[in-house]
Amino acid sequence: MKILVCLKQVPHQDARLDVRADGTWIQEDNIKFEINSYDTYALEEALRVKDKGDTEVVVASIGPDRVTQALRTALGMGADRAVHVKDPAADGSDALGVAKTLAAVAKAESPDLVLMGLMSDDGNAASVPPMLAQLLDVPSATGVMSVEYQNGSVRVERELEGGALEVVDLPRPCVLAVQTGINQVRYASLKGIMAAKKKPIDVKTAADLGVAGQVGAAAAKARIEKVYVPPKGQGAEILSGSADEVVGKLVGKIKELGLL
Amino acid sequence: MGSILVVAEIQKGAVREASYELAAFAQKVAGGRTIHSLVLGSGVAGEAESFAKKGGGQVLYVDRPELASYSVDLWTRAIRAAVEATSAELVLISNTPSGWDVAPRIAAALDSAYVSDVFNMEPGSPTAFVRRVFNGKLDARVVPKADRVVATVQPGATAAFQGATDGAAKALEVDLGAPRAKFVETKVATSKGVDLTKAEIIVSGGRGVGAPEKFSEVIKPLADALGGAMGASRPVVDAGWLPHEYQVGSSGQVVTPKLYIACGISGAIQHLVGMKGSNYIIAINKDGDAPIFEVANLGVVGDLFEIVPKLTEAVKTAKG
Repeated sequence: MKILVCLKQVPHQDARLDVRADGTWIQEDNIKFEINSYDTYALEEALRVKDKGDTEVVVASIGPDRVTQALRTALGMGADRAVHVKDPAADGSDALGVAKTLAAVAKAESPDLVLMGLMSDDGNAASVPPMLAQLLDVPSATGVMSVEYQNGSVRVERELEGGALEVVDLPRPCVLAVQTGINQVRYASLKGIMAAKKKPIDVKTAADLGVAGQVGAAAAKARIEKVYVPPKGQGAEILSGSADEVVGKLVGKIKELGLL
Repeated sequence: MGSILVVAEIQKGAVREASYELAAFAQKVAGGRTIHSLVLGSGVAGEAESFAKKGGGQVLYVDRPELASYSVDLWTRAIRAAVEATSAELVLISNTPSGWDVAPRIAAALDSAYVSDVFNMEPGSPTAFVRRVFNGKLDARVVPKADRVVATVQPGATAAFQGATDGAAKALEVDLGAPRAKFVETKVATSKGVDLTKAEIIVSGGRGVGAPEKFSEVIKPLADALGGAMGASRPVVDAGWLPHEYQVGSSGQVVTPKLYIACGISGAIQHLVGMKGSNYIIAINKDGDAPIFEVANLGVVGDLFEIVPKLTEAVKTAKG
């Protein structure tokens, strides 16, 4: 089996979020990046299939030079090879532009299964996986909490509201968008990291993939006009003072509520 | 002039609340455009008729046995047919497990703009959309550049439409074909002993608690001292620090205790949905900009490892 895992490199969850000068996104210089948390679960899911034998895991990502680090990490965890779409002309794509780029990668790779995270930690949009499936004309499922591999198909559990699960059978190839918590993600071993240095990263441009002009900021069908810190509502009354003073006030409030 | 298409969702036989919220947003940004709705399901003709009078406007429905459960393939075909029949330039879908599963496929099929999990819309030309990014830490105002927009809307973002609309319902003729992804069954959540919905006091810990043993060392003692229960946010459960039955949030338990104390929880939307109905909320977090402070009544910006143990001792002393 061949599994394609699509990864996004996103600002580290604890990174400082400063709005950049033009107001349309955050300042991305000099902050730490990491693999999108949802995508690490997708990668782990693929590596578990590979652990059972005879499976090739290919990882793909779009972005500037820094993305190499994310791909090396994925290779260090056990992926076999990587595709890096690195092209300023592909920067600023909307979700559909990203899906078109990944669809071109998927068509070239012809995987039996595409695994990716449900959403990204930065955009939180959850749009690319179903878009990719639509462009490839294959079935898809989102919010996947378990995958059972059957002959030519997969049985998945999708997370619904309130912890209920929906069981669905999908023929392969298909696109699965996995939810966090589907597995426990491994760390790259030292041996894995050393081995990753010899694994290939295939660098592609939009033109190489035949999507030049269809992706990037100019082709985007929606644009972020501005990002900003949400206006403060009434919000919490913030207690000040030493730890002991603060604790005293908290106890006072709990008493006032009649709970102490 | 194009129209607006509201894709309604049936839950337990009736059009769900979130669909009436879509109707409210449709009214807000209509600007003279006709509002159409689509109702998909089995045995839904009556609900479609009723929705036409209560916000749905001109309602199309597809009433077929194979739509008794959600199917991404059948929904994609039905929604595309409805967009074609209504010349809709704005398609509104709730950001629910069905909505986020199907909506991006519709946008890709139509080669349209797509905006997901919107919590506000601003009328204008074009309509602007506001959504949260970075797990609630920032807002983004999104403006479409395409003639057609598909948007999903966060349930609960606005009040449900309560007025009357002068619409009628009619069946939409569509060849649904056969689904590729096949529904097998729905498994209802089973609570394994920890029923947080009945707790009067809940002390919850998040990613900021840092390690599984800190729950038994720091969070649980406060819950015990107060005679309450311990809860957790999703990252804690995902990391395997606590089992799923402790999870508070849209995919865990939705709780409404008299007192909710959130420790080291930043306040991702999925968590807030599960606890914002609490009578009184105290938040302790080192990041003063954390969204949890927006829903809390009382906040402490500080180190939970300093505050929580002192609070536990003070509670024990107060109880004698």
